Amino acid sequence: MNIGTDDKESARPMTRGLTPADLARTAWLGISSRLQRTTLAALGIALGIAALVALTGVSASNRAHLLSELDAMGANLAIVSPADGPDRKPIPLPDTAPETIARQDGVARVGVFEAAPEGLAVYRTDLVPETESNGLSVAVARPDVYDAIGASVASGRWFDQGTRDLPVTVLGATAAERLGIHQSGDRILIGGEWYGVIGILKSAGLATDIDTAAIIGDQWVRHHYAGGNVGSISAIYVRAEPGRIDAIRDILAAAAAPGSPYVQVTKLSDLAQARTTTDNSLSSLGIALAAIALLVGGVGIANTMIVAVMERRGEIGLRRALGARPTQIAAQFVTEAIALSLLGGFAGLLLGVAAAALIATIATQQVVIPSVVLAAGPAISLIVGVLAGLQPAVRAARLPPTTALRNI
Amino acid sequence: MSTPVVELREAAKTYPGPPAVTVLQPTSLALMPGEQVAVVGPSGSGKSTLLCILGTLDEPSGGTVLVDGKPVTGMRERERSALRAERIGFVFQQFHLLPALTALENVATGLLYSGVRHAQRRRRAANALEAVGLAHRLDHRPGELSGGEQQRVAIARALVREPGVLFADEPTGALDSATGEAIIRLLAGIADRGTTIVVVTHDEHIASRFARRIRLRDGIATENT
Repeated sequence: MNIGTDDKESARPMTRGLTPADLARTAWLGISSRLQRTTLAALGIALGIAALVALTGVSASNRAHLLSELDAMGANLAIVSPADGPDRKPIPLPDTAPETIARQDGVARVGVFEAAPEGLAVYRTDLVPETESNGLSVAVARPDVYDAIGASVASGRWFDQGTRDLPVTVLGATAAERLGIHQSGDRILIGGEWYGVIGILKSAGLATDIDTAAIIGDQWVRHHYAGGNVGSISAIYVRAEPGRIDAIRDILAAAAAPGSPYVQVTKLSDLAQARTTTDNSLSSLGIALAAIALLVGGVGIANTMIVAVMERRGEIGLRRALGARPTQIAAQFVTEAIALSLLGGFAGLLLGVAAAALIATIATQQVVIPSVVLAAGPAISLIVGVLAGLQPAVRAARLPPTTALRNI
Repeated sequence: MSTPVVELREAAKTYPGPPAVTVLQPTSLALMPGEQVAVVGPSGSGKSTLLCILGTLDEPSGGTVLVDGKPVTGMRERERSALRAERIGFVFQQFHLLPALTALENVATGLLYSGVRHAQRRRRAANALEAVGLAHRLDHRPGELSGGEQQRVAIARALVREPGVLFADEPTGALDSATGEAIIRLLAGIADRGTTIVVVTHDEHIASRFARRIRLRDGIATENT
C-alpha cells in the first residue's frame, strides 16, 4: 500500500518546527471549536479594553469640556492695567500698548476699556433717588472687548462702528437684572442723560466687573465728555490661546509699556490653578480605573486558558502522541491566548469608543478619544494575552503525554 | 538479522511510594519489522503501561528502551517527540479525533508535527483515507461518521506518516463485534505491508488472531510462542 510518501519527503530532517500558518490554524481551531467558552473569555478582555477606552474617552471628553468651560469663564484671561506711580496717581499705559500686546505670541484677543468720566451713576429712571445707585458702574469699551472677554449677548447686540459714537449702552448681566431690564430697546439714565439699551450681555464669568457695568461706547465718550483722563486706557483684557496663559503672563507688562514698572498684570489665577489640578487628577483617575479593568480582563483570559488546558488534556496527549514537542504545545496555547485577547481587544475598542461617544453625546460634550488609547488598546491586549497565556501554556507543555491520554 | 523496531531491555516501571507500586516487572522483548503482536491481559495488568513505554510516551523507571537500535532512555524530550512523529503511530479505544475537523483535516494533523507542508499534508491525508476505504468521507466531521468509520480515520491518521510501528490500544473496545472484526482485518493488512502492529486487548478472541501474543498479569509479561 502506498499512502503517498514522496522520496523528497523521506529525506527530511528529524525535527521541524510548525510554520506560523500552522500555528495560527491550530490556535484558531482551539478558539473556533469552543465558541461559547472563548466568546465569554474574549468578552472579559473586551470589557477590560472597552473600560480602558471608555474611561479615558469619557475623562478626556470631560476634561476637554471642563477646560473649555474654564476658559470661557476666564481662566485664560489676564488684565493689564495702569499701576499707581510714585505720586499715587496711575501712570497711563501708552496708547500703543494694545497693539504691542496683540503681537505677542500666544495672545489670542485683546480688548480695551477706557477710563470712564468721573461721577457717572446709573439709574433706571429720573425718579430713582440718587443714593440708590445699585452698586453699578460705568465702563467705556472699545468694540474689541466683546471678543476678548468671550462675551455673548442675551438680548440685542454689542457695539459696532456706528453705535460706538451714540448715546447707547450695553448692560452687564447683573446690571440689567438690578435695573429690571430684560430686553434691549429700553432706556436708562447715565450721568443724567438718557441712553438707549441696545444689548444685554450674558454673565461674563470671571470678569465680574463687566457684569455690574453699564457699558458705553468709547467714541461717544471721547466726543461727549472732555478733560480728565477721558480716552486713556484703563484696562486691557488679554485672552491667551488655550494653555498659554502662564507663558504670556510674564511678558505682558513689558509688552504693554517697555521699561515701565507701573504696569499691573492680573491673571484670574485661582481658576487657572484649578484648571491644572483638575487636569492631573482626572488623568490619574482614568489610568487607575483602566489598569483595574485590564487586570480583570487578563485574569479572565488566564482563567479560561487554565480551564482549557485541564479540559483539553486529551487533545494535548493526542498531539504529544503525534509528535508535538512540549514547546509546540506551549506555543499553541500562548497563540490561542493572544488571539483571544486580540479579538477581545478589538471588540473592546469598538465597544469603548461607542460607549465614550454615547456618554459624551448624552452629556452634550465633544467626543474626545486620545489617539494613544486607540493604539494602546490592541498593544495592551497583546501583552495581556501573552502574560495570561504563559502559565497555562507551560502547564500544558508539562503534562506528561500518558496522563493526558488517561484523562479523557 | 534485522534491527528490532522497538526493543525493551529489562525495562520496568515502579511508581515511588510509599508504598512503591511496581506496575511492570523488568521485561525484555523485541518487536521486529512487520510483526503482528497482541498484548493481552485483564485490566490493571500493566498493558497500558507497557504500551506507553514501548511507544516512548512514558519512560521506564529502570532498564532500556531502544527504537531502531538507538536508546531512547536519556534522550531529550524534543528528540523523543521527533522520534514519535517519524516512527510511531497510535490508535486509541476512543479514537481521539478532533470534533471540529473533517476526516481529511484530522488525518492531516498526523503530519502536522513531521515538518510536512500544509498542501502536502492534505494530499497524503486523502491518500491515507482512501487506503482505509474512506475516500467518500473526506469532508465529514467525526460526528457524522459511524464508530467504525471514526476508528478508520484514526488509523489513517496513524498511518499517514508511514510509521515503523503502530500501537493500537483496545482499538475495537468501543465498536460492535462485526465492525471490530473489520478493524482487526484492516490492521492485519497493514502489518502485511511491513509496519509492525501491536494491539493491546483484553479480548482473548481478538488476541488469538495474532501470531505472537504477550500475556500480562500483575506486571509480569510472558510469551506463548
